Amino acid sequence: MLAQLRDATGWAQSISDDRGYQYWAGIHGLPLPISCTHSTRQQFASYFLPWHRAYLYFYERALRDRVPTLGQPWWDWTRDRTVPGAYADQQADGQRNPLFSVRVNDVAMAQAANAGLTLPADVRRYPGQPGTRLPEAWEVDSVLAMPDFFSFSRVLENLHGLVHVWVGGDQGHMRHVPLAAYDPIFWAHHAMIDRIWRIWQLRHPPPSFTSDYLNTALRPFPLTVAQVLDVRALGYDYAATVGIA
Amino acid sequence: MDRYVSGPIDSPEGRDVYRRVDLIFEGVDHSGESFEARIFFDNPDAVETTALDDQNGYAGSFVIFGHGGCAGDEGHCDIPENPDDVDDLRFPHPLHPADKPVIVTEALRRVEGDTFTITVVPVLPGKDAPRRADVLFFEGIDVLTYE
Repeated sequence: MLAQLRDATGWAQSISDDRGYQYWAGIHGLPLPISCTHSTRQQFASYFLPWHRAYLYFYERALRDRVPTLGQPWWDWTRDRTVPGAYADQQADGQRNPLFSVRVNDVAMAQAANAGLTLPADVRRYPGQPGTRLPEAWEVDSVLAMPDFFSFSRVLENLHGLVHVWVGGDQGHMRHVPLAAYDPIFWAHHAMIDRIWRIWQLRHPPPSFTSDYLNTALRPFPLTVAQVLDVRALGYDYAATVGIA
Repeated sequence: MDRYVSGPIDSPEGRDVYRRVDLIFEGVDHSGESFEARIFFDNPDAVETTALDDQNGYAGSFVIFGHGGCAGDEGHCDIPENPDDVDDLRFPHPLHPADKPVIVTEALRRVEGDTFTITVVPVLPGKDAPRRADVLFFEGIDVLTYE
């Protein structure tokens, strides 16, 4: 599984067109436009969870073009309190570990510099610096107990942000929206967020969303909110969710 | 601002009977740095290193996952003035200020007296991270109670 993930990720990183890693990482942030959806005002519905589920889906499908049976793993940061070795090791089998780092394309870096972000082109992490913390298991349990979807989503988004700051530290890419998705661990982190949403869905009745919300397109993906609510309709599910739920 | 300390705020009447109480930080800027904003009750001296426990009045936190600045040309990050236009089907501008909820039910029950103060401490990563005067901006705080 790990070897396959490395193979598919390395393959994607070697492609410069719209099948490749730079394309998919760039959708979240730079090069412009920044398409991800995060913090919003109360009067706006939150698309944080459905947008990132669609994003994960298409990224995983891209990797499956190389390894058809591949599933995106999640990083359970409530249990693994350091960056997992699969992502932390610089070398794997004597070669560059594609899960450790990747070089960000020049266009994205030039736009980042325009914003005042002067990070190196090679993705870096500075995990666990003072002033950062990973969410605790009790915090995930607490958010899972929340019955209202939008409250759940907004509080979970806070926990998600803690991980971005913890991984990136003061000079890492994960801490900044425009560059975060270039870090290979981004995908494992968001798989964890998506998994928590899946567990929440198993524990609570389906929310009564408005038709406007359900029919909203999750740009740039050809999917609506309604189309991403059920992971099984997208062809995947998470192991061990039954025991947790 | 580098830190926010409120004046005395009236505690919600009958706060012990509310199922849940949220502080809503309204209009929080997220165009710049990423950081955790830690909230303390009745502790105006709280700083980045204050322990997150009941004794220090820790009530919870929210996180800003920031954009790190404006990557576009002049005007790219200007937020439209009329976000409530019902005929505008675009997503809200990505930098539209956010509302960040913090659930403070238990912390508020521990408050003694009829008033309390709120201290918000933005914490940036790194041991050498200076206290920054330019990371925490918000328009107001609302208290939302659930019966």
